[in-house]
Amino acid sequence: MDRRRFLKTTSGTAGAGAIASSLSCSLRKRGTVSRGGRREVPTTCELCPNKCSVVAVVEDGVIRKLNPNPENPKSRGMLCARGNAGFLQAYDPNRLKRPLIRAGARGEGKWREVSWDEAFDYTAQKLTAIKEKYGPQGVLWSSTEAFAEIFFKNLGLAFGSPNIVRHPTLCLSSVNLAYSTTFGTVPSFDLLNANYVIMAGANRFEALITPDTMDLIDSTMNRKTRLICLDPRFTVTASKADQWFPIKPGTDMAFILAMLHVVIAEGRHDKEFVVNYCTGFEQLTEHVKPYTPEWAEKETEIPARDIGRIAREFSDAAPRAVFYAGRRSSWYQNDFQMRRAQAILNAIVGNWDRQGGMVPNAKIALGEYMFLPWDDPKAPRVDEMDKNFPLAAQGDGAYLKLRENVLAGSPYPVKGWMIAKQDPLNALPEQAKTLRMIEQMDFIAAIDIQMSDSAWYADVLFPESTYLERWDPIEVMSGIWPVVVLRQPVIKPLHDTKPCLEIVQGLAKRLGLQQYFDFTIEQWNEAAAKELPIEMPLEYLKKHGVFTPPGGPKYGATLNPEHRFVTKSGKIELYSERLQENGHDPLPVYHSRPEPPYGKFRLVIGRKAFYTHANSTSNPWLFDFAPENRLWINPASARSAGVADGDQVEVASSVGAVQLRAKVTQEIRPDCVFMLHGFGKRSPWLKRAYNRGGSDAALLETAWDKVSGNAAMHETFVKVRKV
Amino acid sequence: MPDKRYALVIDSRKCLDCKACVVACRAENHVPLGYSRNWINEEHRGTWPKLLAAFEPEQCHHCTNPSCVRVCPTGASFQRDDGIVLINEADCIGCRYCVVACPYNARFFREDKGVVEKCTFCVQRVDRGEMPACVETCPSKARVFGDITDPDGKLQQLLATREYRLKKPETGNGPQIYYLI
Amino acid sequence: MAKIEWGILIVNYLFLGGLSAGIFFVSALATYLQQRDEAAYARIARYGAMMAPWPVAIGSLLLIFDLGSWCRFYKLFVHFRWQSPMSIGSWLLVFFTLVALVNFWAWLPEERRGAFIAYLKLPPHFNYDLSSWCRLLAAAGFPLSIGVAIYTGVLLGAVQARPFWNTNLVAQLFLFSALSTGCAVLILALSYHRQRLDPNQLRFLYTLDICLITLEFFIVVPYLIHGELSVQAVKDSLELILGGPYTVAFWLLFMGIGLLAPLALEVWEVAPAMASGTPLHHNRGLAAFIGVLVIFGGYVLRYVFVYAGQLSYFR
Repeated sequence: MDRRRFLKTTSGTAGAGAIASSLSCSLRKRGTVSRGGRREVPTTCELCPNKCSVVAVVEDGVIRKLNPNPENPKSRGMLCARGNAGFLQAYDPNRLKRPLIRAGARGEGKWREVSWDEAFDYTAQKLTAIKEKYGPQGVLWSSTEAFAEIFFKNLGLAFGSPNIVRHPTLCLSSVNLAYSTTFGTVPSFDLLNANYVIMAGANRFEALITPDTMDLIDSTMNRKTRLICLDPRFTVTASKADQWFPIKPGTDMAFILAMLHVVIAEGRHDKEFVVNYCTGFEQLTEHVKPYTPEWAEKETEIPARDIGRIAREFSDAAPRAVFYAGRRSSWYQNDFQMRRAQAILNAIVGNWDRQGGMVPNAKIALGEYMFLPWDDPKAPRVDEMDKNFPLAAQGDGAYLKLRENVLAGSPYPVKGWMIAKQDPLNALPEQAKTLRMIEQMDFIAAIDIQMSDSAWYADVLFPESTYLERWDPIEVMSGIWPVVVLRQPVIKPLHDTKPCLEIVQGLAKRLGLQQYFDFTIEQWNEAAAKELPIEMPLEYLKKHGVFTPPGGPKYGATLNPEHRFVTKSGKIELYSERLQENGHDPLPVYHSRPEPPYGKFRLVIGRKAFYTHANSTSNPWLFDFAPENRLWINPASARSAGVADGDQVEVASSVGAVQLRAKVTQEIRPDCVFMLHGFGKRSPWLKRAYNRGGSDAALLETAWDKVSGNAAMHETFVKVRKV
Repeated sequence: MPDKRYALVIDSRKCLDCKACVVACRAENHVPLGYSRNWINEEHRGTWPKLLAAFEPEQCHHCTNPSCVRVCPTGASFQRDDGIVLINEADCIGCRYCVVACPYNARFFREDKGVVEKCTFCVQRVDRGEMPACVETCPSKARVFGDITDPDGKLQQLLATREYRLKKPETGNGPQIYYLI
Repeated sequence: MAKIEWGILIVNYLFLGGLSAGIFFVSALATYLQQRDEAAYARIARYGAMMAPWPVAIGSLLLIFDLGSWCRFYKLFVHFRWQSPMSIGSWLLVFFTLVALVNFWAWLPEERRGAFIAYLKLPPHFNYDLSSWCRLLAAAGFPLSIGVAIYTGVLLGAVQARPFWNTNLVAQLFLFSALSTGCAVLILALSYHRQRLDPNQLRFLYTLDICLITLEFFIVVPYLIHGELSVQAVKDSLELILGGPYTVAFWLLFMGIGLLAPLALEVWEVAPAMASGTPLHHNRGLAAFIGVLVIFGGYVLRYVFVYAGQLSYFR
């Protein structure tokens, strides 16, 4: 007899069981426990640039859970680990709760709690003093992307300083510049519909969970898409790929040039597309003649026949084939040119503005709040962007060059530093130099939610309300299918904190600039939302959190003879005259990267989705997964360095040394070592993360890409020894 | 065939070990650090450059023949008609027989509360018509939750058209997490 | 991979429960075997009756405090779930302890009874004389003591998730081990008494124990053989005692010191007497030593099984 049925009948007839049931206290089942006052508030996450839509669940005035908002077609009803843990930011007992002014020496950690008035007054006084002595250009305004960043940036400009520096040159400015040089704009990749994806170095399945991640995992695992992964490390992306090649670091360009060679030599490019939309094809053909797969094999350590095969498969799958551009492209000093090669390859197979290819971002027109304009800053930028990186986005600056010039005091001194939502001590390579830059400052103020390493060295700290406690400007998340997202307060601020706009306004008042910021966030958003094609747009956004224009993703808008690309020639520029005019290679020329000398390894850094970025550091639920970073080292290399798994090692470059534990693993090339970014924190207020693991920022040498000024973070060689 | 039985179908190949499900569960069910109702099993093998890394989410399998319910001396561990296995904390004496009896080590003893705890398929959400937190949040959409007896349901469709495996079926517990191969 | 959820408190409880059951069983047996209308082995019967309730009482207290929510332990007696060996065992334990306590009272000498009643400040008529109930109590207690001894094994054996335990031999092994440890305690009691060592009663105990230890062997050997020839998970789990962390404990401490050594010594004691009628050595020290060996072995058996079992699993 079937066991289940046997048990059912016998338990029903067991007399003792019947008695017991009547004796037992009623089996109160756990069902829904209704708590008083449950609210659901839609808003937008802020743990990373993807800005997924969330719905916050509040019970009895406390945020209990963040749920994904299914109405956002980009975030597609998902929420990653960081997004889920985000609400702990608000309840962090160690966060900044009220304005602080430094009471001891810089870096000593003695603080005085002050009123907002005092903090504003003191800061304005210091800034004015610097302005009088060095001119407004003597104050540096640095920030990281955020919806409210524009207010901070505008304050700097209204103050009269040209020295606004943002984070792209620490991240993705080289890839952005390369693609805009070629196409006039930076497109998105339609991974959902691509049939063939080459992902080199980008670790979309591990480093960050983005809509691209979701598109790709679905299509790859359902065997619609072939994924080829090139990476010196066996990442999660590599493990999911159809094929993974442990490419020699720094040789991506060789691979791409060889692919170009094969595609063109065998006539596999989209001839019609090239004729109609591109310029410079003849020069390109000539240029790639020497870059054969056999040659590339020597550089990349990938077999020539595989390179050839991939080139053929790629072009066969086109236009639903993409060479993925990646995001953080701060790798090598030739990164811009390498990404240019990528862009050119994508261009000649004709995947532009087609389903499964690269699609220029559609936008949604938002209204603009008409605020009073100010005079443009008079002084030139301290990083002399126009001289050093004339082709790069001038307003963003080149962070590392800027630091060099500030340290040298040339072309002029910079003595004040206003920081918003940024941790330069960890975000910039060569931490020792950042510390020197800090020392040189007469005044530093930071707007932050926690006592980051950089905040620790500030003179004034302005505590910002967390993303769950404030209004922010509504934003367009552009892409193949753009949306408009809203961020509204879920709870009232738990402490004496303010949103960025109010901090800016408080400063502006004391600096005599209040007329430029004479509006509320409500007014700003009313104006922005007015242009949206719906009734009562702001009310709609407050209720739904996101507005999605109907119609879905659109393709092919630019594929008509009238369209003019935003390039010098008006077409897609395979050969770039503009580059040539500025003294750069108009077509990517390959130069080998230097190899690590004997006994040293190339340091490669990266991210892990549940941890990365400064604001995750002290989050207890995220910290739990990775309390420290470890140095990944291949067993053969470990043997030669005398290191065993778990050993404490010292990793030393020419600019610094850190200690962390080794992870001896097969999953990395013998010539590299790897560590996760963002550990080795120095601020004792970051109670969990303080002194755990090693800081990559302390080890990385200063280097940047020639054309874009983007930091080059994979150029550092290190020595490893057991301690 | 019972009227309803909840089950989970997981496509482990899509699992990226991003830990979103672990954090979502922790938030939804107030699980303190040091304990976890769900987890990701990892396998790494091979020698460079022939390597494999695989990830597999797991939690209570809400078995059809749960040994944990059978061995409970007070009846605190019980199974609802829809298959969800739950613990009535008021009746739990903390003897941990069920913890020892679970082939999947899905249960754990809460030192601070003196009772045993495990995944409940977010019964408070399911009863509201929502998905369990882990299912809802997964970026890969690797998890599908639903009524396995529903002939028009997603689960039956998946299990009819895809190969799948169960974990430790030889224990006879009748686990209800189906891993697509 | 499991972590150890049931620790040393559970080991102690299983051991002490089995011990009480064993003591009672031997004492009851001694009561039941009559010679001239009197218990044949009166001293064994009396010592056993005096000692039987206490190990399990202590063990039960330990058990209650091992519970996560010990103040709710009474819920064990508000429910009865026949599929749960723990539920059955709890009820068995209660009834067994009651019978053992009544038995204790029945065997308690008159003056001690009187003193206890006076101590409790109860009127003298509470001083019930139950000495005529001894045989009845022995009969009632037999099945209960066997039940308690067996259930400690069923508790483990019923867990299909742990291949080290999931065999029907575990219950028998624990039963005979419990009875054997009961014997051993009585051997110790006899050897300890200041009066002359009674060779008759000692021989009874030795003979009984030889049978019990032999029976244990006849269970352990098939357990090992069948296990090695069984499914992969069971074979793997046996590695824990065949090269794994519990190898020395199982073979040296349990099989060697706990089974073989006392068996050999008991046979050496008894065999000449049985073969040629020569009197026993009746060495007090040796008897005590044998008792300790058996008790030690019984404890190690529980220890190995509880721990190794929790480390075994299906892949």
